[in-house]
Amino acid sequence: MSDMKEYSLPVPVKPPAEIESLELPVPPGLEEKALKEDELVLFVGPQHGGSGHMRLIVRVHGDVIKEVIPDPGFVHRGMEKLAENRLYIQNIPLLERPAIMDCINFSLGYVRAIEKALDVEVPERARYIRTMMAEICRIGTHLYDAGILAVFLGHTTGFMWPFALRELTCEALMRVTGARITASYIVPGGVRRDVDRGTLNYINEAMTYIQHKLKDFERVFITNPVTIARMKDVAVLSKKEAIKYGLVGPFLRASGVEYDVRAVEPYDAYDELTWDVIVADDGDSYSRFLVRANEIQQSIGIIRQCVKALKEMPEGNIISADIAGKKKAAKAKAKAKAGKEGEKEGEKEGGEGEEKKEEKKGLDSIKGAFFRTFGRLTLPKGEYTTLTEASRGTVLYTIVSDGQSNAPYRLRMVTPGWFYLKGFMESLKGCRLADLQAVYGSFGYFPPEADR
Amino acid sequence: MLSYSSLLEMFRQNSVGIPLITRKVILYHTANKIAYIPPLTSLFAKIPLLNLIVALIFWKPFFAVVFAPGLVCILIAILFIIWFERKVTARVQWRYGPLEVSRSVGGIIQPMADGMRYFFQEVIVHREAHRPYFLQFPLITFLPVLLPILVIPAGAIYAINTPYSIPAAIALISLIPMIIVAIGWASNSKYAYVGSLREAIMYFSYEVVLIISAMAMVIVYGSASALTIVREQSVLPGIVLNPFAALAFFVAIAMATSRFPFEIPEADQEVVFGPFIEYTGIIFGVVMTLAYEKLYLLCMLFSILFLGGWNGPFIPPLGDLSPAFWLFIKTIALMMIFVFFRTFYARYRLDQALKIGWSTLMALAIVALGVGIGLGAVNVVGWL
Repeated sequence: MSDMKEYSLPVPVKPPAEIESLELPVPPGLEEKALKEDELVLFVGPQHGGSGHMRLIVRVHGDVIKEVIPDPGFVHRGMEKLAENRLYIQNIPLLERPAIMDCINFSLGYVRAIEKALDVEVPERARYIRTMMAEICRIGTHLYDAGILAVFLGHTTGFMWPFALRELTCEALMRVTGARITASYIVPGGVRRDVDRGTLNYINEAMTYIQHKLKDFERVFITNPVTIARMKDVAVLSKKEAIKYGLVGPFLRASGVEYDVRAVEPYDAYDELTWDVIVADDGDSYSRFLVRANEIQQSIGIIRQCVKALKEMPEGNIISADIAGKKKAAKAKAKAKAGKEGEKEGEKEGGEGEEKKEEKKGLDSIKGAFFRTFGRLTLPKGEYTTLTEASRGTVLYTIVSDGQSNAPYRLRMVTPGWFYLKGFMESLKGCRLADLQAVYGSFGYFPPEADR
Repeated sequence: MLSYSSLLEMFRQNSVGIPLITRKVILYHTANKIAYIPPLTSLFAKIPLLNLIVALIFWKPFFAVVFAPGLVCILIAILFIIWFERKVTARVQWRYGPLEVSRSVGGIIQPMADGMRYFFQEVIVHREAHRPYFLQFPLITFLPVLLPILVIPAGAIYAINTPYSIPAAIALISLIPMIIVAIGWASNSKYAYVGSLREAIMYFSYEVVLIISAMAMVIVYGSASALTIVREQSVLPGIVLNPFAALAFFVAIAMATSRFPFEIPEADQEVVFGPFIEYTGIIFGVVMTLAYEKLYLLCMLFSILFLGGWNGPFIPPLGDLSPAFWLFIKTIALMMIFVFFRTFYARYRLDQALKIGWSTLMALAIVALGVGIGLGAVNVVGWL
């Protein structure tokens, strides 16, 4: 075989016109180089059945992927710029648009940044409701991602069952907030509406049902030999690589890094509840999926604890007294101390008649006083950053305020999808072309979330 | 040179006997009077040309290819199995499946409605396609589908009675991948190229196993004629004699017809229907049913080799059609099993399928061959 000689054929190579006309992010000469090296450049997306709203430029040698160049931005809506032209309160519905299934977690991060700026203490009941709703959204998103992964592997039953189960989480969101998705439920200082006993019972029953049906799902899809064969040892990212490429959330934990914002910098009621951080060691597609499948179980546990705690608490008291009477900064600070003892007392202490009315409405419910309370919201000058553990990983919000305007001077929002896009692309190297969709599904990549 | 009357005579001598339509139907019967409806076939017996057409329709070779077990049966099987596949998948997945077209019968005519929709859709031929071949190949697909019917008998209905019917049928069925690869080439698109390569590699991984396991049964019965093989199975079906061969053949069918978990060449999430990506309208309808047609043929072979073929209780009104009916029932039942796999399997990767084909499945096929040779040597069939 050593005397084999390579002959070059002077075949003229013409790259496809769309590389130039569509201004694709392709290095010049890629197509020619690929064809000369017996490779193929494939454009997967944005109309491809298994690509989502993005284009993947894949260079394959035979069946093995050499390189993947992402071309995201097809659903970029300019969230950060849009946010600069809106009131602080109007940004809540805007900023949960990137990940509509995960709305609570996304607005939670933004609202916590505002609360950090105003130094507001959130009442206990509101904290538990927030935690419960965030975990319901997490279950919904993980089920959604599991379904997408299943259909990318060709398993249609594994697609339909989680989507049907997700209906229960949507129903729970609807009963609590009034909307199946994009709830705009979290407001500075608390939550928008209270949860009644009947809804709490419904949530408990829904969790029991989901847990019961997840056993069937596990038998049909999670432990299916074909699923395991397709995902085991595929697209492995070691612990070192995962940290180097800046993975976040369940995907970082799947590579063996025990990092969860909920555990490291606990917010809301997470430090008062018992739950485990799920970690896997393999770092392959299967463990990335298993981590999220097990997180659903943890979330169900958290929701059960929240429901139990909420049932024992008296109803009402879901908006912080600080926010209701925040007009005068000095007074607000005085109330912050009183607010801890109980909202009713805080209200009594807050003097003048006109103010008092506003506060009274603002405490048990924000209904009717919404824009009076939040319309003139301005933050003190400074920069406020929060980290939140959304379903797909850490979401970062930074609000820069000039101290005078009622809209943010600058808002920075980095979503988990954008964080782990690099790791996703790197993990694809050396995989088979057929694995592209399986790895895509194992990351649960959601272009609207990454593009913002 | 054949004269008109000798041609007519030739057709009539070798015609399918179906008492249901060739018998006189007695209306009433008194002491001296019998009133009856003349049989349908004799209506045109005296009219020139029409009698030739009627005789041709019931001529066994023509009947075998066009009616049973040929084209009409394939069409019925496809229409039913596509509906069944969608319906059973929907039932497992907490959905309804096809329902709105013909609500009272559970949407069973939905595939027919889809077919009509395909007819009225525009056929787009893209600029890069090799135009003549692109349009020809879907029509040529009927050749490798209908040619095996010539050598696969259904009881007394057969076109060619040959002692090599099983190898001949397998050889003719294996023309189908050639057509699919050619379709992928004529489409001249990257995805079609990847899809036809996948088809070629899948062909490479199942074909040897398919042939070996079929040959194992041929050795057991000492004959490659389907008529002999089915006659020998009147006591004990082949699946009991050599279950290894049956299993290997079964998995090879799933690979050959791209059923789950081996739906690799057409994987719509990966290569978007692979070789058929560029097809639209009615030609897409034709190429889409190709896998189902192949499934029908291979399931027929499976029931002939392992399930006793057309053996079954004789139904007098059907006459010659009775064995064909039993063969059809067994074939449909097998197809129903194959399409049910869609509900609980994901898709293997190409290299995994190749590995399965050449390791596990090949070992199984060789064991089956050994068992077949052993059974053939001691002449189990003769002893039975």
